[in-house]
Parts: sequence; C-alpha cells; structure tokens
Amino acid sequence: MYSKDNSSKYFKYLPAFVFLIFIFGMAVWFLFNPKSEYSSAEKRYLSEFPKVSAESVLNGKFGTEFESYFADQFPSRSFWVGLNAYYNLDIGNNGANGVYNCKNGYLINKPVSTDNQIKKNTQAIIDFKNSVDTPVTAMFVPSTGYIAQDVLPSVHNEYNDDEYFESSSKAFAENGIDFVDLRQTFKDAYKSGSQLYYKTDHHWTTLGAYTAYNELCRQLDITPAPKDKFKVETYGGFYGTTYSTSGFWFTQPDNIEIWNNPENTDKNINVKITEGKNTEEYGSMYFYNHLKEDDKYPVFIDGNHALTEITNSNADGGTILLVKDSFSHSLVPFLAENYSKIILVDMRYYKSRVARIVKEENPERILFLYGIDNLATDTDLVWIN
Amino acid sequence: MVFSSLVFLFAYLPITLLAYYLVPRQGRNIFLFIINLIFYGWGEPKLVLLMVFNIFFNYIGGYLVDKYRSDEKKKKLFLILTCVLDIGILAVFKYTGMITETLNMLPFLNIPELQISLPIGISFYTFQTMSYVIDVYRDDAPVSKSFINFGTYVALFPQLIAGPIVRYRDVAYQLTHRRETIEQFTKGVLLFMVGLGKKVLIANQMGTLTSAIFATTDENGVVGTWAGIIAYTFQIYFDFSGYSDMACGLGNMLGFEFLKNFNYPYIARSITDFWRRWHISLSTWFKEYVYIPLGGNRKGAKRQIINLLVVWGLTGLWHGAAYNFILWGLYYGLLLILEKFVLKRFLEKLPSFIQHLYTLFAVIIGWGLFYFTDMSQLGEFFVDLFNFGNGICGEQAFNLILNYLPLLIVAAVASTPIGAKLYARISGTKFIWIPETLFCIVVLLISTASLVDQSYNPFLYFRF
Repeated sequence: MYSKDNSSKYFKYLPAFVFLIFIFGMAVWFLFNPKSEYSSAEKRYLSEFPKVSAESVLNGKFGTEFESYFADQFPSRSFWVGLNAYYNLDIGNNGANGVYNCKNGYLINKPVSTDNQIKKNTQAIIDFKNSVDTPVTAMFVPSTGYIAQDVLPSVHNEYNDDEYFESSSKAFAENGIDFVDLRQTFKDAYKSGSQLYYKTDHHWTTLGAYTAYNELCRQLDITPAPKDKFKVETYGGFYGTTYSTSGFWFTQPDNIEIWNNPENTDKNINVKITEGKNTEEYGSMYFYNHLKEDDKYPVFIDGNHALTEITNSNADGGTILLVKDSFSHSLVPFLAENYSKIILVDMRYYKSRVARIVKEENPERILFLYGIDNLATDTDLVWIN
Repeated sequence: MVFSSLVFLFAYLPITLLAYYLVPRQGRNIFLFIINLIFYGWGEPKLVLLMVFNIFFNYIGGYLVDKYRSDEKKKKLFLILTCVLDIGILAVFKYTGMITETLNMLPFLNIPELQISLPIGISFYTFQTMSYVIDVYRDDAPVSKSFINFGTYVALFPQLIAGPIVRYRDVAYQLTHRRETIEQFTKGVLLFMVGLGKKVLIANQMGTLTSAIFATTDENGVVGTWAGIIAYTFQIYFDFSGYSDMACGLGNMLGFEFLKNFNYPYIARSITDFWRRWHISLSTWFKEYVYIPLGGNRKGAKRQIINLLVVWGLTGLWHGAAYNFILWGLYYGLLLILEKFVLKRFLEKLPSFIQHLYTLFAVIIGWGLFYFTDMSQLGEFFVDLFNFGNGICGEQAFNLILNYLPLLIVAAVASTPIGAKLYARISGTKFIWIPETLFCIVVLLISTASLVDQSYNPFLYFRF
C-alpha cells in the first residue's frame, strides 16, 4: 500500500519528465545527426551553418540564418513532414499542403488559382505567331484533376480547364493558330481505363504522351508511329513531384515506361543539349542513370535544359521547333519518328532570341506544348517576343 | 525568437533550463538577465541597446523618485521626466510613420518618410517599466535595490515580447525570494503545452483559413465572409492566449508566478464582461495608470464618458500605429459607455443566450475593424457581411469551411471552460498523470511536425 502511493507521487511529474526528455533528446540528436547538403525531395540545397562574424551577429543575419539552418537540418525531417501531412488529412483537411490525397493512390495538385497567367501567355503565343511566317500549333495538357474527376476527394475545388481551354482555343482560332484540344480524347481514353497521368507526379505517363501524339498527328495530317513499333520497358519505384511535395509517404510508387524503338541506335539518333555556352552530345533520348533516383522522369531527354536538339536520320520529315515545358519530354521520342530534327526551347532557361532559331533553322512548324497548370504559373513565356 | 519555433524549443530552451538550474541561486538572476538579452537580440541585436537604455533610465527614475520621497515637487518631476522619456521613445519608434503620413495629408507639407522598424515587444516592456516608476511614486511597490534584478524583471524572456504585462509589484518579491519546485515546474510544462497547442495546432491553422478565405474577398458570399472573420476571431484568441499560456508556463518553469491574462473571453455576456476577460493585464494597466488618475467615474457622468473615450482611444492606438486600431478602440469605448448608461438594464433581463450572441456579434465585428488595416477594404468587408448580392457562399469558401470544420468545432469548444471544468473534476485523481502525459506527447509530436513543415511562423502580436 505504502509503496503504491509512493510511485504515484512520482508519476505525477511524468509530463514534465516527458517534456524534458523530448526537448533535450531532440537537441542532442540534432548535435550528432549528420548534416546533409541537399534535399532531393525538395530539390534544393539545405542551409549550412552560417558564418560567424562580428558583423553578421550584430546585424541579426546570423540569428536568422541559424534558424533556417536549424529547421533545414532538423533530425528526421521527412518523418515530421509526413506526420504533419497525415495529421492534416485525418482532421479532414485534405489538400492542406496543395496536393489532394485521392482514391486509387493518386496524389493530385489542387487547381491553379483563378488569378493566373493563362490569358497573358496565350496572347504571347499569338503575338509570336504574328511575328513569324511559320505555321504555329499549340497543344495544352489538361490537368490531372480535370481528367481524373472520379478519384478526387468529395470536398475539392473546381478544375476550370474548360474555361481556360475554350478562351485560349477561341483566341487561337481568330489568329490562325491550330489548337490541339486534348480534352475529349483524354476523357475518352481515361474512361476506357488508360492511365494517362502518374499517380505520384504531375506529368502524363508515356501512354498519355502517346495518346496526345496520336491526336497531334491527326491534326497535323501526318502518320503516327504505330504502337507495335515500340518495345515497352517498365521500371518501378518512381516517386514524383506530388509525392515529395505532399508528404504522403505511404503512397505506392508509380511505374515508369519507356517505349523504345529498337531500330533507334546512336547511329541515327543524336541528342545535343545546350546549357549556356556548354553543349554535350548523346546517342540516345533516354538517360538511364536517372532511373536510380526517386524522381525518374528526367530519364526522358535528361530533363529540363535551355536548348535540346534531337536529330533522327531515319525520319522523313523536316524540322519542328518546340517551345515547351517538361510535358514534352516523354512525347518527343514519338515525334522523333516523324521529324528528322526537333529543337526544344525551354523559356524558363533559354535567354536568347527564339526568332533567330526560326530564321536560321527554318522549321516547317512551331509547336507550343504546355501543361495547363504550368501555363497558369509561367512568367517566362512572355519573353519570347 | 518566438516560443513556437524549433530553435526556441530545441536549442534555446534546453540550454537555458539546464544552465539555469546548474547556476547557484544567487547567480540565477544575472544569468537570466544575460540570457534574456540573447533571446531578445536574436533577430535584431542593435535593439538590445534600446531596451537596456530603457531599463537603465527607468531604474534611475525609480531611484530618484524614491530618493526624493519627501520632496513632493521633485518626486513628481522625476516621475514625469521618466514617463515622458518612456512615451517619447515609444512614440518615436512606433508612431513616427503614422504621424508623418498624417501631417503629409496637409497640402503644404511634404515631410520625407522615415523608415523606422518597430522594436519587438517595445509596447510591452515600456508599459512594464512605466508601471514600476509609477508604483514606486505611489508607494505601491518597493524601489528596486539591484539593477540586475530590475533588468531581469523587464527583460524576462517569457513575457518580454508578447506579454502579459507584468507589474513590478506582482513579481518584486519573487525576483529575490522565489523557490523553484518540481510541482511548479510540472504545472508550467502543462501550461506551456496548452499554450503551444493553442498556438500551433489551432491559431496557425485558423490563420491559414482566414487568409485563404480573404484572398478572394469578392467571391465569398455572406456565409464565406462570416466564416473568414470567425476564423480570424479564433486565430487571434488562440494566438494571443496561447502565447500568454506559454509565457506563464515558462515563468513557472523558472519559479515565477504570473497573473492570468485571459479568462475565456468569448463566453462573456457583455462587452464590459469581455474586457474583464480579454488581455486582462492590459486593461488593468490602462485602468490603473490612465483611467483612475483621470478621475475614473468619480467626477460625474460627463467626465467619465470623456475618460472612457480617452482610455479606449489609447488602447486602440497601443495595438498598432494605424487609424483602424484607434477606430477599433473607440468602438469598444462607445460600446462600453452604451452598456454602462443604457444597455446594462435591458441586457440583464434578456435570456443568457441572447447576451452571449450580442457580445459575440460585437466582438466579431470588432475583429473586422482590427483585421482590415485598409479603410476601403474594411468598407467592402462590412458590405460583404450583409450583402446577399454576392451569393450565399462561394465554392472555394465553402470547401475551406468543410475542410476546417473539425478544427472550427475544436476551436469553439476550446474557447469555453468545458475542458478546464472536466480537468478540474479529475485533476485530484490518482491517474491524472496518464491523460496529462498523453496530452504532452500528442502536442509535442504534432506541433514539432507542424513547425518542421512550416519554417515560416510569424507571430501576430509582434506588430504591437
């Protein structure tokens, strides 16, 4: 009896004990936790221990930088981010971090803000078209949430793709730009069970790209390469962008497919990547080293670069110029079956004049290819003029 | 540095606690004094000098007032000098921008605008040091014999940057005679956990909801607009009272006992009642150092009305250097006058739920005045509250309300004393440590997760 009372006497201090263990434990763990330089999930360099000088301490810079260092290097950061993500999900706030946790393991970006850049960018394309003689085609990729309506959580914001597509397509029609409207094609394909988008990434799948390629060819009146021309290679363990931004770590990874035409070798394929003054050449459109990473999408033409030139000496067609975002990366291997030369310009990194490429290369067509979500936030396309 | 930051929780606090308890008792105040300056100077070290200067001249002021205790004239002179310097510094650092802006409205004036950043917590510590000198003058508090002890009091990190406004007389004895105990420490931990939970788990989320709703003011509809301002009503309460709880809890951990700053303000039955429950240390300060010296209610109704308007105009101005804050203060001044002279008789006869409804309505409208610093936005907001022409509830606002519904309900329940009553009922029992410990673990884990997730974590009350 006596001993029992005694134990409860100490137990009443347990909250304080737990608190102290926790704050001291984390502090010690922080000290001994190896610091990392780079966060691959966030795709950024983490803050390092700030420089100490009389000046930096006195003007408060040290204090501010130390705080971001402390937050960036906090032990088991991804555990905490995940806990926060699932906590918010469980208290009914699906999408708190900008990504909806959807049925069938889909992680889908929330709709873009209604106050966006789409009108401005559409006008930029029109202005550019009016400054060149080359025929111009535009193709926008619908957002995942617009196509995969059935998997969205019951409480979700509306995807306004219809409004954006219609206003752009009307403006394009008035200005002689061919517009490839993928909405119906994608809705039908999705309904028939095709997986057009990745579940953990904002991009379309290779099948999605192929579906769009077919629609594009139909509109350009060229013959698409048939499906059986390609050997499908499948790789697992792909964790894309919506996975890493959402913190929903229990989501299953995607498979990523490479539809490889066995006839293509380094004899007929040349990929020239230019970044600044630096140009490197490769013999394949697939960069298998990226399959080692969590985010495997850069397997297609090595991801984002300012200027990429793909030549295929087996193809019959001429030159096509793509002004594009990353959606095009998984589509160009198909397009390379038709065009002997594809020039890809990424306005986010390319800082020279696009008009000069048109003049020098004299492409038979210019294609603007953007995901509608990217187009909504892109502020670089306007520099094309 | 704010309490709800990783650096505070996992670096500053463990180091401070460890060192504090290792230092022998005689050295604890000087240790606290130094560590307080580090806490304060973390973001802007230069402003430490301003605070030390403030501590210094108020200490001297108190000393002189005490020295000439028998010489009424000199005593008064030193009191006035000290207070003028206090208010002068506060005015320069807080209101210069507002004053020049106002003067520049005159067509013939064009004063260049000075960019003076507001030193954190200056409104709080200025009021604390003034309370000291005035109390010494009135013989309500003993003069401080030690500069270190006085400095420790002014700069005490738990209440330094966002209150409560601790009067010197309430802690004078504790400064020299406190005895830290495990009981008090445990109580402090629990209170700190309550505060951290209020701030990180409720206030921050309500803040996200508020700004998400008011990001699209014209699409919200009537219900959406109300939801936005109700979310803000919760945000400001949980933010501020959470901070006060953390302050009191940290005080307990260091052996101090501060007075309660909030007492469930949203269950008030009148505005008079509300201001007895909201930011108690501030209303007490204004009552004791402004309202009563002005004559309070002892000089007739007319004078009382004027006094109330002065006090509430100043209360508003204390909250921020903008006209909407004065408007907010006067709004409460008018409501209080109205209640005192007219409404009180009627209100008391009404059923209690109507009293609550009336109070909440007035308070929520008050937060509208507080939130919208831009006068034209404020006007639009009031139209949106009652104009069904913009629809009943916008789609985005509706989705946000649904997403945050569980938290809104938690916030509503946590605004009432239900939880505290339940706790009081079981707190004497033998196994109370089980729910207490579980509560600590949950708050620690989820708050840490939330803080790691959002490194951006500004405190609302820094503006004051």
